[in-house]
Amino acid sequence: MSRSSLWFSLFVLALPFTGVAFLIYETVGFDWSELNEAVWRTSLAVTLYVTIVSTVVSLVIGTWLARTVYMKRSLWLMSLLKWPMFVPHVAAAYLFYLLFSGGFPFYGWIEANERHHLVVIFTYVWKEVPFVFLMVVGTYGQLNHGYVDMAKTLQLKPLEQFKVAEWPFLIKPLLDSFWVLVAFISFAYEVPALLGVTYPELLGVLAYERLTTGLFLNAFESYAVALAWTLFIFSGVIASYALTAKRRRRIERGVRR
Amino acid sequence: MRRLQVFGLLVSILFLAACGATRTEIAPTFEQAAEEAKQSTVNFYMWGGDDGINRYIDEYVAPRLKETHDVELNRVPMDTAEFVRQLSLDKRANREEGTIDLMWINGDNFRNAAEAELLQGNLLDKIPNATLLNEEAQATDAGTPTDGLEVAWGNVQFVLHYDADKVKNPPTTFDELHRWTEENPGRFTYPEVTDFTGNAFVRHLLYAEYGDTVRDGEIPVEFWKELSTWSPNLWKEGTTYPKSLAQLDQLYAAGEVWMTMGFNERRAEAERNAGVFPDGTRALVLEHSIASTHFLAVPFNAKNPNGALVAINELLSPEAQLAKQDATYWGDGTSLDLTKLDTADRDAFLKLDEGVTYPDPERLTERSIPDYGPAVIDAIREEWDCVAQ
Repeated sequence: MSRSSLWFSLFVLALPFTGVAFLIYETVGFDWSELNEAVWRTSLAVTLYVTIVSTVVSLVIGTWLARTVYMKRSLWLMSLLKWPMFVPHVAAAYLFYLLFSGGFPFYGWIEANERHHLVVIFTYVWKEVPFVFLMVVGTYGQLNHGYVDMAKTLQLKPLEQFKVAEWPFLIKPLLDSFWVLVAFISFAYEVPALLGVTYPELLGVLAYERLTTGLFLNAFESYAVALAWTLFIFSGVIASYALTAKRRRRIERGVRR
Repeated sequence: MRRLQVFGLLVSILFLAACGATRTEIAPTFEQAAEEAKQSTVNFYMWGGDDGINRYIDEYVAPRLKETHDVELNRVPMDTAEFVRQLSLDKRANREEGTIDLMWINGDNFRNAAEAELLQGNLLDKIPNATLLNEEAQATDAGTPTDGLEVAWGNVQFVLHYDADKVKNPPTTFDELHRWTEENPGRFTYPEVTDFTGNAFVRHLLYAEYGDTVRDGEIPVEFWKELSTWSPNLWKEGTTYPKSLAQLDQLYAAGEVWMTMGFNERRAEAERNAGVFPDGTRALVLEHSIASTHFLAVPFNAKNPNGALVAINELLSPEAQLAKQDATYWGDGTSLDLTKLDTADRDAFLKLDEGVTYPDPERLTERSIPDYGPAVIDAIREEWDCVAQ
């Protein structure tokens, strides 16, 4: 690693820490009980619902597709799946807004701007499945086929085969994808702003609204939420990696052998 | 190592550029200001959500300013609250040379900016055309005294527009409008109260119930209960509201809802002529209508305040105001006092009062009420959530 790239990496790394330091500085003396408002509470609940459902569904579908491509060696599916990656989130949101605006092709069967947030979830799933797919398909590419063969030889049921021969290797990429998606979806603005509802709003939308109306009047609430959410995700990442560290290390060594 | 030095140099230049500048002073007379502004650029920050307004600035004002004063006008579209926030961050960071030279502002954004001392004062003495202003419009901004921190640019009133092909017996009061929504479920809505127009609509309902008694911002709980009874018959049963006026206009243009609303009694004419709004679009003035003035202001750290003054003077000229009021671009009411103009100019303004979608000007003036102050705007913004739930 050259020295300039080292400096550059340090610079890039320092940016988020500067952001967190700024948030801490801004929230010194903030009365945290102000966040105990019904608006923020319902926002948290709906954010968790949208984030968890979108993430889990994306992970399941993405993994399933990667597995199919790997098993069937279907290259056309692989190139097809990449397409949604090239569509920006705003464009995707607008696309789904048009699709689900009440006319053709769904005629109000499922509509955007409804409290169940289904269209928000659809948009995220459509956008994030290719991402999960790319994260997982590499792992499948490196998978030692011997494990699967052995599981078959031992006459395990298909689900058990998956559990012992594939799942252990998927933990790492799925965990990576999970946190990337959670961090991204839970505090995003454009998709829920266009496809969500007035009440309850997702955290990112509500925080942005409070940040931009009335100078500094409500900005501290947004800073406090951003800080709390960053720390929450940060500790979630640390905890989940720590809990799976031993297992992952064992598997990684196993793969390399 | 060399690369590292270059990198370090770049970073230090960035920091120096951010801290080193000093504030630009305004020239003592308008003539000197005009002289200094020559060949400069004025960055005009303004809400950019209306095509007609944008075209007025780009196609009419900018070329005119270039021709008469050799000043370049650069329109920067941005939400007002956002650039006011940016200014307040400049203030906190002691940034004496900002990016905004001129801004379009009013209402609680002005109140916030004035409280945080983000604006240059004594503007009226420095602008020759300010003598033509309508003094009543210039005096206060949604209840806050303007104190020379901003200059009235336009003066409009709140009206609803409806599609006469679908609405056969339009309501005449807010109470009747309520009943109309019950008879026509899903065909009416208003923007969220974080939006300027949505908040104003709720203020009209508040005025219909309580008049001047709630100016202190103490809104009775009964009002919210009453407003909640509107919800089941609104668009999407009131589970969600348009985020902005632009979104409501889209719904109206698409025929999903049958009414739209907004400040500026002439705003629908150009939309109707362009075929965006339905042919049957007509104005609807209910029992009262809030009059609203919008203003121009110069930030404390404007890089080119002299150019900004020249631009304001030009925007207040009778010709520019006339072009602004014409439906070709914007259709925005003038902030000038017509009695102060010469006969030819005055007649030209009066001639503009004919439009299919315009309300009767006399009735509109008769029902005009002054706006509530920022206290009410804030209270609505904070308490309305209970209706949206």
